[in-house]
Amino acid sequence: MSTVIEQIEQQIAQLSSKAVRKNTGTIRAIADGVAKVDGLSDVMYNEMVQFPGNAIGIALNLEEDEVGCVVLGDVAQLKEGDEVFTTGKLLSVPVGKALLGRVVDALGRPVDGKGPIDAREFYPVERIAPGIILRKSVSQPVLTGIMAIDSMIPIGRGQRELIIGDRSTGKTTIAIDTIIHQAAINRQGLASNDPAFRPLYSIYVAIGQKNSNVARTIASLEAAGALEYTIIVTAPAADNPANQYIAPYAGAAMGEWFMENSMDALIVYDDLSKHAVAYRQISLILKRPSGREAYPGDVFYLHSRLLERAARLAAKGSLTALPIIETLAGDVSAYIPTNVISITDGQIYLETDLFNQGIRPAVSVGLSVSRVGSSAQLKMTKQVAGKLKGELAQFRELAAFAQFGSDLDARTKAQLDRGSRIVELFKQPAFNPIPIELQAAVLWAMQNNYFDPIDVKKIVEAASHLKEFLRTRKSALLAALRKNAAIDETLGVELKKALEEWKGSYTG
Amino acid sequence: MQSSRQSQQLARHLCHLSLDDGTVSAPRVGAVLSFLQRHPPRQPLTVLKHYRRLIARELARRQAVVEHAGVVDARILADIEAAMSRRYRRTIAAVTRPNPGLIAGLRIRVGDDLYESSVAGQLAALTVSD
Repeated sequence: MSTVIEQIEQQIAQLSSKAVRKNTGTIRAIADGVAKVDGLSDVMYNEMVQFPGNAIGIALNLEEDEVGCVVLGDVAQLKEGDEVFTTGKLLSVPVGKALLGRVVDALGRPVDGKGPIDAREFYPVERIAPGIILRKSVSQPVLTGIMAIDSMIPIGRGQRELIIGDRSTGKTTIAIDTIIHQAAINRQGLASNDPAFRPLYSIYVAIGQKNSNVARTIASLEAAGALEYTIIVTAPAADNPANQYIAPYAGAAMGEWFMENSMDALIVYDDLSKHAVAYRQISLILKRPSGREAYPGDVFYLHSRLLERAARLAAKGSLTALPIIETLAGDVSAYIPTNVISITDGQIYLETDLFNQGIRPAVSVGLSVSRVGSSAQLKMTKQVAGKLKGELAQFRELAAFAQFGSDLDARTKAQLDRGSRIVELFKQPAFNPIPIELQAAVLWAMQNNYFDPIDVKKIVEAASHLKEFLRTRKSALLAALRKNAAIDETLGVELKKALEEWKGSYTG
Repeated sequence: MQSSRQSQQLARHLCHLSLDDGTVSAPRVGAVLSFLQRHPPRQPLTVLKHYRRLIARELARRQAVVEHAGVVDARILADIEAAMSRRYRRTIAAVTRPNPGLIAGLRIRVGDDLYESSVAGQLAALTVSD
């Protein structure tokens, strides 16, 4: 028997000493994270290439005489004449639950100092989006915990909802609020041991952001206990543009793992404006022809192929995308914003004016829309918030006209009064998501005129008093609302009773 | 940028003219060089650099550079020539280049392709996989 083993071992030894064939090239020029390589005649588009010193790159430009590669990693150690090898592999990143609670770079390597990641699977960074046959329509909600969004611009699992607005209008806060709220739902759902409960894992991709901002986001998630359900992929402003270009695709690959394995995930791309800028930089260095605003011709495809990867799959899970776009001076008709608006299934538009007026989240109801999410909205939210968007839109219109005249009829006055109350009711501090049953109860109170006797300036205070009252004294009612997800006759009576009790106790 | 692209195009054209039956011909290269001397293009240095690179690549395609740490006898070289010519379906001549850094074994380079069977190469592969 041992001779047989020896024979096999000899065969293995022969094979292992066999010459290894590699396709090689030499660096002809290197600048700004892009290397022009001579040779590499067998390289494939998007193939990973090996540079000296363990640096890797991606072949992006296959030309007649040379190959343009973006270098992912330290370019300072590379020089002209260095040898480059093809690997025959596409760029892949680690995926799986082992990444939850970790902060990784664009290649999935940990940067949080918590040790190596025990990932057993790798997914290619670039993947073709699921086809039509595999997809299923959106019917389950993603609850953000933000009353203005959950009631008027609902998001469904598998949807792509753009968050757009000028700088410092609270775009990231909305995304972080959603992650925090989903973590709270996950904790509650997993503790209930309900077999039908599907947790929603989150991936936050920070592109071209300041390290201090990323650190603040991580701290907020950690403080809210949401980090354990979240993967953070970071390619900060100090990283080379290649890493910033790859980061959202790496995040999408991590999200796809959850989707393929019958789980649900949410991915936030913060933000795609900086992603487009990084891609423009790479394209200009690669000497690709530039078009509008100096972006290359395929900048639409850059984002469409990324966002198309978010989907709800039949008999599998879902990947919901919340891309963020930063506008300049509220210009939504700029190149990148219009591109992403046309790709996504709706947008949450944040206005600087509203933000400065103290209306936070500064959601512009008129310009925000959710094209598919309403089919995923819970029945109780539909019952209480069905007409809210129209009422608020009417209020904005009337408020604009009311500025010109003082004589208003009683009906207009009532509409203005109601509108200003709704605006006040939707004010919500950052990182303070509200459970959906509580949102429904508060909106039910609004619809049933419980806030009418209260002074407009005191609505915020009254609403928080009501929330506190319901949380502490009517938890059974809230639990019933959560379970039923609809306000039937019995629950309506109970809600009425509870609100009468609150009315008596509120002295503001 | 445009002129650089034109220089590259001209260099490619000149390289094409320098081939005789697919192989670099010394008389043709001489003719190309004397033509360039008589009729210098817009950016002669750039054109010549591109031309040199393309000719070097053409020459490398027909040559198997055998780096070795020990002694390589003529029979092995003949075998390598035959095997490479068969593989690439063109005549390939082997040239030797001693390289003690390989420790043991051979490293053969034909154009862009590198065949690594040296101890140094295997050690380098181990370092990368770590």
